Amino acid sequence: MTTPDTATSASKARTWRYRVVPYLLIAPAIVYLAMFFAYPMYEGLVLAVYDEDALLPTRDEPNLDGSEVSKIPQGTALAIVDRSSQEVVGDENPDALTDPWYQVTADDPTGSPITGWVSEARIRVRDEDAAGAPVSGTVRPRLAATSDPLTDVYEAPNDRSEVIGKLEQRAPVEITDVALLEVWFQVRPADDPSAAAGWAPSRFLQVFEDGENGRVHRGTDGEFTTAFIRRMIDDRFFGPAVRTTLLLMVLIIPAQLVLAMVMALVIHARTRLSTGFLYAFSLPIGMSDLAAGILFFSIFTGNGLLNSILDALGIIDGPYAFLTADTVRWIIFAIVLAELWRATSIVMVILVAGLQAIPDETLEAAELFGASYFQRVRHIMLPLLRPSIQVALILRTILAFQVFAVVIALGGGDVVTVLANESYRQYFGLRNNNVASAYAVFILLLSMASAFFYLRAVRSEPEARPT
Amino acid sequence: MSLNTAPDDSAGTGAGAGLPTVLPPLDSPEVEKMHRRMRRRRGRGRLTAYITGAILTLWIAVPIFFVFSMAFTTQETVRSYPKNFLPFIPFSTDTMRFFLESEGVLQSLWNSMIVAGITLFLSTLISIPAGYAIARYLFRGRDLFRLAVLAVRAFPIVVLSIPLAVLYLRIGVFDSLYSLALMHTALALPTSILVVSSVFASVPYELEEAGKVFGASPFQSFRYIVVPLVLPGIAASGLFSFVLSWNEVFAAAILTINNRTLPALVLSSLANSPDAFQFAGGFFLMVPSIVFMFFIRRYLFNMWGQVTK
Amino acid sequence: MAEIRIEHVTKTFGDNVAIDDINLTIEDREFLVLLGPSGCGKTTLLRAIAGLGMADSGRISIGGQDVTYLPPGQRQISMVFQSYAIFPHMTVHQNIGFGLLMNKVDKAESDRRVRSAAELLHIENLLDRRPSAMSGGQRQRVAVARALAMEAKVLLMDEPLSNLDALLRLEMRAELKRLLADVEATTVYVTHDQIEALSMGDRVAVMLDGKIQQCDAPNTVYESPSNQFVGSFIGNPPMNFMEGTIQRDRDTVTVAVGEHEFSPPEALQPLIRDLSSDRITLGIRAENMETLAAPSSDTVPVTIEVVEPLGAQNLLTARIGGHRLKVSTHPSLDVAAKQQVYIRLPADQIRWIDPATESVLYKR
Repeated sequence: MTTPDTATSASKARTWRYRVVPYLLIAPAIVYLAMFFAYPMYEGLVLAVYDEDALLPTRDEPNLDGSEVSKIPQGTALAIVDRSSQEVVGDENPDALTDPWYQVTADDPTGSPITGWVSEARIRVRDEDAAGAPVSGTVRPRLAATSDPLTDVYEAPNDRSEVIGKLEQRAPVEITDVALLEVWFQVRPADDPSAAAGWAPSRFLQVFEDGENGRVHRGTDGEFTTAFIRRMIDDRFFGPAVRTTLLLMVLIIPAQLVLAMVMALVIHARTRLSTGFLYAFSLPIGMSDLAAGILFFSIFTGNGLLNSILDALGIIDGPYAFLTADTVRWIIFAIVLAELWRATSIVMVILVAGLQAIPDETLEAAELFGASYFQRVRHIMLPLLRPSIQVALILRTILAFQVFAVVIALGGGDVVTVLANESYRQYFGLRNNNVASAYAVFILLLSMASAFFYLRAVRSEPEARPT
Repeated sequence: MSLNTAPDDSAGTGAGAGLPTVLPPLDSPEVEKMHRRMRRRRGRGRLTAYITGAILTLWIAVPIFFVFSMAFTTQETVRSYPKNFLPFIPFSTDTMRFFLESEGVLQSLWNSMIVAGITLFLSTLISIPAGYAIARYLFRGRDLFRLAVLAVRAFPIVVLSIPLAVLYLRIGVFDSLYSLALMHTALALPTSILVVSSVFASVPYELEEAGKVFGASPFQSFRYIVVPLVLPGIAASGLFSFVLSWNEVFAAAILTINNRTLPALVLSSLANSPDAFQFAGGFFLMVPSIVFMFFIRRYLFNMWGQVTK
Repeated sequence: MAEIRIEHVTKTFGDNVAIDDINLTIEDREFLVLLGPSGCGKTTLLRAIAGLGMADSGRISIGGQDVTYLPPGQRQISMVFQSYAIFPHMTVHQNIGFGLLMNKVDKAESDRRVRSAAELLHIENLLDRRPSAMSGGQRQRVAVARALAMEAKVLLMDEPLSNLDALLRLEMRAELKRLLADVEATTVYVTHDQIEALSMGDRVAVMLDGKIQQCDAPNTVYESPSNQFVGSFIGNPPMNFMEGTIQRDRDTVTVAVGEHEFSPPEALQPLIRDLSSDRITLGIRAENMETLAAPSSDTVPVTIEVVEPLGAQNLLTARIGGHRLKVSTHPSLDVAAKQQVYIRLPADQIRWIDPATESVLYKR
């Protein structure tokens, strides 16, 4: 190092460079990964266990300023005690189910002018100003002859306020103001008459036709809940999806490991064609499971390659339907083959890299001391490949939980289903984000558990023992 | 070992004396025969490697070949049974034309290009500085960062897609190619960072220093010394991102409805489209990966071979 | 009996002839060193004996059995590798016993041999350790113990000391020599270090360009190199060479180097007279010349260019007839650069080399 007095500024600059620059360089990547991995993971967890519509608070007055009386869970049957229309101030409730009232000025049947409030249902707007606000209209006629043909005019925008006059049908009115009203209901749980009644806006409630009963449609306060997880577990596809996913794992991964090891050994034999073999074996590495599914669909479909070959060999007379609901085993077999075809390459690459890291002399020494080829594989290569095998197993198991498109391509997605497919179905078919997220979280937990399991079970033995 | 060609002269060697009586003379036919037999026996392992390799190559290649030939034949052939085997599948652009003229296909191809292109651009842009930092700087948290990158590489796409879809809906960017490309960039980023860092690590820092010694600014030495050396590797990582995006099914199916990419379109029409449509779609799904594999052969192990931290 | 016989063995890598028609017999229990610069084919030859690389043609036999194309595991041989090739996932015990396990030696016998090999190399306390935490010297011992535990008739060593630091190498060299003296195995030892070769071998085979240049006892190789390469490769400093002109008189032959004249020994005179050209090369080792402060009848006056004190000796660089000679002198001789001294070149220490073949002329 240079002496302090000559190099203070230089070393300061260097310190800055080495302290700050690397963090600046990785900052975009960290922000990006946090945004697209950490946040969605958090959000997914929340969706799976937190119901943001779970509870409906009720208030002692029919407005938002009222203090809270109780929280009623979503879906609770309600007895309706009272109702009230409340003016909605400003746009604080954009999704409120509102009912506009107009302040009108008109002549009553007696001919004297009157100013008051009438529900929008009773006024046909005839004219609007440039901004779209109603300016004038007429009173709608009553269709039913039995009812009062006259329309009530209220003192305030509320059907409980005093009626200050009446208007004839088709009477022209001038509209001077508009008020948005929302109906509030005073409710209490139907099964508990002793409970205090509270007020809640109509948009959160479902009121039955009798006007006396109803239920909580959705709440505004969230609550942690196992409901989505229970719904996932109770779903009729859940059991089959778990079973099939695990079955596929059990069938695919060991076979894959063996196949990849054979491929790696062929490449490691260093024949003239090794590079060519490496290229050929790694071809599927960039392919999607959808492509693999289509490939094996082309083989197993009714008029596909397999039937054609069997036909040519005289084994069958007509095409055999492999991919039907009655031949689930064949569908599973085709899925296993497709996954073996597609995802073995990545295991192979990991193993080849591991084999390349074993020095030639180590294998030569084993050969010289009398180990046959298979003894070398068993006593030298496999133990030294342990870390590679561990990584491959973790990667493959996690990927096995994501098997999706190949299942749809070969089995349609109903007869044979897997966890990822159920997540897709919940999200896309049933529009249930929470249960879809529950599936996603379930997959995440399984992935993490299996990674942990492999790290423990296939743990490399400690290389050195402390002396 | 570098070996020089030996001169003709072999005089002065301390050659052994006469042959022992137990062994027949070296040039006798029985020795030659035995040697040939033993050589062949020792060559057997090699032969096994060739045969196994050939069988496994067929296993990989035959399905691809079959679907490709189905993608370029008549629709009638696709429907026919039993099929003739190669090379008797008649060539025709009929299937392909049918596929390309189907509703939404050209649009989805274009959509896939846009999404994959943006993914390529974004992931390269973000991974270059991050990869450079890992390769060139020893900073606190470097190993942690590397480990995190390695860990998220194996992260299940399923887990990310649904919460992202909910988020996208909430902020109004759902069913947009750009939002999908953002998601794909996230999927490509971990591998990109690892590849780019290993590519930078393969360029000795001394070269950069040499540039600086000869008067280049840090930027100049990066631009004129490092960039030319790492460009092929970075291109490979970019290609990887492109192909990853091109092939990604789950997130594309979750995050788009009207703006389908090719895999999402093929997936959603699996149930109600003729086989010819699927095979031609399969062709388009596979071609980029095959081309890609050809270009990135050298970087195969940089991408997937890294085992230890 | 484990005599190794190499007959007309040739091996090429592409266009490179790695070993070229080699004939060599290694006696039972002999310690033969293959010595040569890198790329001379010594390792290729060793690997052909081991069976790790197959010869293209020719025959290798061990103890009368043709092993040319036999797999290494069936040759009854044992080997110490340059990188030691210790199995990192096995304990020292497992490493040493590996060959015995593979050859189905029974457990008690195997254990006994592992322990005695470990004791020989003083690593019995390491038996349960794994190699990763061990020093280079300890690994080396494990590698040697593993090779000895096989109790094979043939022991091959591929530059076993080259990965050790200088001090450890010196120590291991002596220990190896002591050990191998007790081991009743035919040993082939590859090295590029001439001191190792000269100090350890019963015979040294000097190789260049895929051929054995000379195979003799260490002293012979040093004193009487068969050709100019052997003379220059062995010895530090290498042998001095001078170009001379043959002057053929009616009775005698003399050789002129610059203005000095040398008389070859009587026995070689006819050989030199019969050389086709007038050119001849004279070779002499630095320590075979005598440096005198005063002239005498058979001395050559030279001017010293450089004096290099090396402790046990002083190495002078002097000029004679356009050639630089390295002359070693006793440190007590007080000389300095630019000073004139007189050196004596004893005729019987001079090696006479035919420049056409580069072979040293010896009387038949």
